Amino acid sequence: MNDDIAFWLSYLTNGKHLAWYASFQFTIFAALMGGGLAVVFGLTGATLKNSRFLPLRLIGTIYSSIVRGVPDVLFFLFFPLAFEQAVEWVVASQICTPESIAAQTSAWPPCKEANWFLGTTEYLLLASVSLGLVYGAFATNVIHGALRSVPTGQLEAARAFGMSPGQVLWRIQIRQMWVYALPGLSNVWMLVVKATSLLSLLQIADIVLWADRLGAPNFLPAVGLVHEDWRWRYYLVLFVFYILVTWLSERAFEAITRRVGKGILSEARV
Amino acid sequence: MQPLLNDLAMMSQAVLFNIYFAAASIPIGFVLAVFLALGKASPNPLINWLSRVYIYAFRGSPLFIQFFMFYSLALSLNLAVWKPLGISGFVLHPLFMGPLVLILNTAAYTGEIFYGALRAVPRGEVEAAKAYGMSRSQQFRHVIWPNLIRLAWPAYTNEVVFLFHATAIVYFALPVIGAQADLMVTAKTLFERDYNAFLHFSVAALYFLAVSLVVFFLFGLVYQRLMRHMPAPPRMRFKPKWIR
Repeated sequence: MNDDIAFWLSYLTNGKHLAWYASFQFTIFAALMGGGLAVVFGLTGATLKNSRFLPLRLIGTIYSSIVRGVPDVLFFLFFPLAFEQAVEWVVASQICTPESIAAQTSAWPPCKEANWFLGTTEYLLLASVSLGLVYGAFATNVIHGALRSVPTGQLEAARAFGMSPGQVLWRIQIRQMWVYALPGLSNVWMLVVKATSLLSLLQIADIVLWADRLGAPNFLPAVGLVHEDWRWRYYLVLFVFYILVTWLSERAFEAITRRVGKGILSEARV
Repeated sequence: MQPLLNDLAMMSQAVLFNIYFAAASIPIGFVLAVFLALGKASPNPLINWLSRVYIYAFRGSPLFIQFFMFYSLALSLNLAVWKPLGISGFVLHPLFMGPLVLILNTAAYTGEIFYGALRAVPRGEVEAAKAYGMSRSQQFRHVIWPNLIRLAWPAYTNEVVFLFHATAIVYFALPVIGAQADLMVTAKTLFERDYNAFLHFSVAALYFLAVSLVVFFLFGLVYQRLMRHMPAPPRMRFKPKWIR
């Protein structure tokens, strides 16, 4: 019995497993950064949507409807690739010589010197930005609705005090908007958390990739414990992990809503 | 212009796989969701708890993980169960596994939508039905269900579109067999051939957008039909405000 426990403890703390535990940092970083950026892009989008000029309004509306109209995976894959190619194109226009372009055999980049190698850090940052862009479109709608829920009396009072439109927006409307936006933002946060499972599609060695490697059947005693296909067990752990994260986030958002909504939402909640 | 037309032609085959995944999972998911919603509202503690846990688990975890989990589970059962029965080629095929996981997933999301609608069914109507002496099944068929589906339809439309979008990750988790490639796999293979991200991914996005719009249109027609007893909403008028 004790031997069993000792055996499983040592198995679960071997180097590969430690690497798996360490890879949770990528998921957590992407979720936090993606969620934060989603709020930033959401605020920008909602402000654009509320703008007085039609072109800006159109940009806000098109952003939120196009990005929500295509799958998140597509945008998640497209944005980092497109960004990389755009940077390489700019670099190529500066440093490529006709000889180096002629020497290049593959279709992209234009010359070998312009190639930009992306490591895990770069991909992680790009993945977070694309998560932010995708779910910023959802947040745009949430914040746009919340901005309209702020009682008009508050805005009129601010105007009567002689505040400029910008001051009304920043000091009154956006300050009070959060309470109404919280339920929707909580949904957006859950979507961001669930989308972090896609990081392995961008060659990041995240928890999903490690679960696949660790669970794959092993027949060589020299490599480690001999076991058959255990992948589903590792995925079950991730399944439970994500449910726990969802549960924790729900509790946290409930607490925040109760704290922030004191005196504002008391009439709304019966 | 020619590459664009080529892409459009190639992806017109690929989009059929996405449509198949969505079309195969929506009807079964719908039926399952009705039972889950009724289960979540059921006074029986066991049924209630089971449907709550099911809905929470499938809504609280990523579809991507669910795909991997169920596929690897099916793989590990292969030697013990599917092989002796002689159905391993069928069970492990993505065209079966994909809809299966999508059904399990969409049933949870749709069940939650239906549960919300079920709770919003006007109390008075149900009480009136009881007062008329309707049986439980009569109440459900004539009073609760028509109200429920009308309340839930707009949210259900969204869920169907999201399910269609979710079909994009099926082949990232399941093996691609031969030429059976959906939009994302086609876009990715074409990208790896000539590194033209903007063209291939845009065409794939265009297909997703087009099908989403068709879904919105068709479900909108159904909604109009469901709401035909209500006064017609005012027609949309195109009157842009250039500056306000």
